[in-house]
Amino acid sequence: MKITVDTTLCEVHGDCVVVAPDVFDIGEDDDVVQILNPEPEEGLRAVVTQAAKMCPVAAIRIEG
Amino acid sequence: MSSPEIKVFDYDTYAHGDPTTFGLPLDQYQYLRDEEPCYLQEFDDPMLIDRAWVVSRNEDIWEVDRNTELYAADRGYVNIWQVVPIDPKNGGMPAMLTTDGERHRSQRQVLAKGFTPGVVRKLEGTFRKYAKAVVDDALDKGTFNFVHTIAHNMPMEALGDVLGVPQEDRPKFFGWVDQFAAPFDTRITPSFDHVMEAIGNLMVYAEELAELKRREPGDDVMTRLVASGEGGDPLMTPEEIMGNVALLASGAAESTRTAMSHGMHELMRNEKAMAWMREHQDNLPSSVIQEMVRIASPFTHLVRTATRDHELHGKQIKEGDIVAMLFAAGNFDERAFQNPNDFDPARIENPHVSFGRGAHKCLGQHVAALEMKILFEELFQRTSDIVPAGPIDYVRDAYSRGVYELPVAVTPA
Repeated sequence: MKITVDTTLCEVHGDCVVVAPDVFDIGEDDDVVQILNPEPEEGLRAVVTQAAKMCPVAAIRIEG
Repeated sequence: MSSPEIKVFDYDTYAHGDPTTFGLPLDQYQYLRDEEPCYLQEFDDPMLIDRAWVVSRNEDIWEVDRNTELYAADRGYVNIWQVVPIDPKNGGMPAMLTTDGERHRSQRQVLAKGFTPGVVRKLEGTFRKYAKAVVDDALDKGTFNFVHTIAHNMPMEALGDVLGVPQEDRPKFFGWVDQFAAPFDTRITPSFDHVMEAIGNLMVYAEELAELKRREPGDDVMTRLVASGEGGDPLMTPEEIMGNVALLASGAAESTRTAMSHGMHELMRNEKAMAWMREHQDNLPSSVIQEMVRIASPFTHLVRTATRDHELHGKQIKEGDIVAMLFAAGNFDERAFQNPNDFDPARIENPHVSFGRGAHKCLGQHVAALEMKILFEELFQRTSDIVPAGPIDYVRDAYSRGVYELPVAVTPA
């Protein structure tokens, strides 16, 4: 699967980081979330799907 | 089911809440969700709005909160009160909660960096210091009002640190916030003049603090608020600075104190949950903290304004109509939660809406969660027993779920 983030929507609420810290990170100087792992393994699908659902501005897209 | 009388916006419903149902009218919420998921509530009080469509199902609240195009936050009103300090459409100051679109995002961007999970995690050391002091005081007293002795100080110090309020100003700053957090409980706020005075004082102080941070920048959110962008222009207008200080203060003080108090009350009446806490007291999982936030539902609702005519659950909503998201009802929806009326400290599937679920989701959610985790860890680690020393007494308010008194007795570990 491939993860993308619409950076025009991201407001660094941080919900994705809490749910999937291995995939998403917000560094001290980041204006938008960083995707640590844009093509995570299948085992991470559940947390990534949860992160996408939790994102308050629906900025996370999962393809495949 | 036969219909109970619907009084979900009466202050006395909450003042006389049933302690065995978290102080909430769960039967009324059930009726609304099942029989009238879009319910027309009319008001007859000059302090309140005229009417609102009340949305009570968990899924619908998620939808309303996320659909900023259809349900606007920038067309006036924040809750059922006619007047709030942060409503620019009714004489107040602009703030994030009463702004939408680009201007919302810009304001949020100025502040958000101070509230991300990573930044918040660094506060653990200072929070533990405050928690230790609070628990020292509690152990000294032995028997006390949990709300004042324990739940009051942590949020005050935590927000004080995050915002950058000088230590010596914190008591008066939060004293003002308390005055307008519960404007209808005369034990806390003797009259509406006190409310206006408190708001005025807070706004004046916000300007003074802004000036201080311009002269002496700190590693805090107030300094971010007064900062300038690359072009040299301030990122926020003076009105936005005042509005956002009021918003942050009111969002952080009462709410966290409330969640802690309802959480403690429930633990004391729920043996299984109390035992679970003791088992996990060295490192409390986030599940129990989020569960406390769910059952506390610190703000029962927030409102939005419909931007066009549309139908919802068979009701015709007109452009300009106010729509209320009844968070407290959505938090007990069996469509979204297994056994919603049970306090389950290990609850993993917890789509509660106490922080909201859209662009306006609580900026301080990670700060609040960390505060609560640290506080309860310290409290539990240093006590062997925590029991009620009297009945719970709720604040007389239909918006904020404050606890007025929670008498508690502790035994040192």
